[in-house]
Amino acid sequence: MKRLWRTGIIAGVALGLLATGVTSAQTLRVFSGGANQRPDLMRKLFDNYEKQNPGVKIEIETGGATSELQRQYLSTVLNAKDAAIDIYMIDIINPMQYARAGWLEPLNGYLGAEANTIMGTYLPAYGAANVVDGKIVALPAFADAQFLYYRKDLLDKYGVKAPGTWDELAVGLKKVLDGEKNPAVNGVATTGAAIEGAVCTFLKPYWSQGKEFNDATGRMTLDKAAAQKGLEMWLSLVDRGVMQKNIGEVRPADMVNAFKAGNLVAMVNWGFAWDQLQSQADSTVKGKVGVLPLPAMTGGKSATCIGGWQWAVSAFSKNKAASAKLVRYMSAPDSAKFLAIEGSLLPVFAQTYADADVLKKLPHYRDSLPVVQAAKGRPMSDRYGEVSDAIRTTTNAVLARTVKPADAVNDIEGKLRRVMR
Amino acid sequence: MKSWLDRLRDPSERTLGVILLSPAFALLALIVVYPIGKLFYNSFFDMRLSGGQGSKWIGWQNYADMIKDGAFWDATWNTVLITLITVPGALVVGLALALLANLPFKRQWPVRLALLLPWALPLAFAGLIWAWFFHTEYGFINDVWVRMGGEPRMWLLSPVSAFAAICIAIIWKSSSFMALILLAGLQMIPKSLYEAAEVDGASRWQQFWQITVPMLMPSIVVALIFRTITALQTFDIPYTMTKGGPGNATETLAMYIHKTTIDYLDVGFGSTLAVGMFVLSMILTAAYLRHISRQESA
Repeated sequence: MKRLWRTGIIAGVALGLLATGVTSAQTLRVFSGGANQRPDLMRKLFDNYEKQNPGVKIEIETGGATSELQRQYLSTVLNAKDAAIDIYMIDIINPMQYARAGWLEPLNGYLGAEANTIMGTYLPAYGAANVVDGKIVALPAFADAQFLYYRKDLLDKYGVKAPGTWDELAVGLKKVLDGEKNPAVNGVATTGAAIEGAVCTFLKPYWSQGKEFNDATGRMTLDKAAAQKGLEMWLSLVDRGVMQKNIGEVRPADMVNAFKAGNLVAMVNWGFAWDQLQSQADSTVKGKVGVLPLPAMTGGKSATCIGGWQWAVSAFSKNKAASAKLVRYMSAPDSAKFLAIEGSLLPVFAQTYADADVLKKLPHYRDSLPVVQAAKGRPMSDRYGEVSDAIRTTTNAVLARTVKPADAVNDIEGKLRRVMR
Repeated sequence: MKSWLDRLRDPSERTLGVILLSPAFALLALIVVYPIGKLFYNSFFDMRLSGGQGSKWIGWQNYADMIKDGAFWDATWNTVLITLITVPGALVVGLALALLANLPFKRQWPVRLALLLPWALPLAFAGLIWAWFFHTEYGFINDVWVRMGGEPRMWLLSPVSAFAAICIAIIWKSSSFMALILLAGLQMIPKSLYEAAEVDGASRWQQFWQITVPMLMPSIVVALIFRTITALQTFDIPYTMTKGGPGNATETLAMYIHKTTIDYLDVGFGSTLAVGMFVLSMILTAAYLRHISRQESA
């Protein structure tokens, strides 16, 4: 009797094991960003991957609406060494912080001999942002950059040529505004409220003078004279009457609304704005919008802020090989093409901008490529939260005219000297 | 010798007391004593979650940093200033509202409802609404201002007017709470006192100062204590109206703690700042309690 019991138990356990072996799929859990990162489109790519790879099941998790909120959430999860999430979508400002903290699994081993070749296929800035201390820590999902959006029709009407410098832009805008005589219409706008975008507002004219904010190791290399000149440039636009006085209140969505209503001749904004200007029902400027690289400082070169999102494998994942394979798929040219056509998310491959199917849907992509190519990354730091806060609050104070540019630059240097060393 | 089971079955008064108190005590220990203890403990560590480098005991270093930190003193000053302005402000407005609501209206409920509405609104909503009011281009305030012949002003972009705007929003939001407590106090005052004063020929003004205010004092003190403690914790309204801007001109201590702990993920220093705020609250609460106990013994 005892023997029978034992046989029964063994048989049962064996059967159970067999059953789980057959039916249990490998489940990968993915953190797929907030609504702006289009988890709906990512889900479609995941569905496709599941079809191609029977036995793999992908669960999706979404999070905070802004990059700051996502960083707070992910830092908490990753600090706890949580193995529940295998793959993370992270903002381009985060790979260095996460990699240095030991939260990301280096992908070199999983990509094999062609690792370096693969990184060479991306636009250079995206290849570079995802290599930290010589290791590939993430693969790009999609790109973003700030552009100069402008009213093609108005510039044409007054014979204003596409501006190459901020000064030329100011002269051209003055002509348009003087001609239109409409007090509701403003010249050019940029993000001035103390949010992440104001970091770019500070950096663009600074970079344009050929200066760098940090070296490759993340140490601050602030050129105070150039930084001051950059901030003074924004104030001069206000003084010349081509930028609204309350620029310190302006956020990207405010600009889009004003632009859609025809109350703005030009604006500095992210790639997402195009879709809204061209396809939303309340836009009065459909077909009248042009996109240009950002103007340069006089004697300098155009420079813009890079954005974009990456796929990274968690160092605490229990399915690293399978996760790396999925990340590779999500970061492949076919996926980039799909995201461009379905969501006008900017591709990370040069050839996608020239793809016939993409251009049919998004003709302006031909002009977008040089902008994305020239875009630069914000300061890399494992304490990026502090870096961002120091720059954006100070820039906001300058635009609100409560702090003089020279003092503001000293302020930034004082706050960040300890943080970025 | 009774076994413990017997003692449970027929407990002495003392044992019964302990038994009945223990669930509440356990709950308090879990959700109040433990977190506060942990906060003090963390304040002695270099504990930054952004780098994943773990935590390191650094003794009083965080406290030394806090004393030298200009941003901490600025935020503390802003917090104290907000408290000094909005607590008396809310008391005056709240008292006026309470007196108004105490008038013999035919219908009481619309008045009471109007009184309750600002109080029932979440703080963050109130902040967003007031931010819109003061917006340069779309704001109601500027609309009125311009109609009266003024130049549009950037209220939230100048340190002084941004601070004033925040104080107005806080007074608007908190005076209904004041009014509720004071209204309850007003209704406790016997009508006969006023009738007697009337007979003696006291004016309305004399009645207010000689009867209403003294009889209302206990309610006023209670309202002030609650209001002062919440004023020290001011976060939502400035956070939604200005995010502490322009620059850091309207950043309160609670916002600085939030920024350090949640944005910078610097838990050690953030805990130290929170201990600083805890001490500030304790000092003010103690001062009030002393005042009350002196009044009671008098």
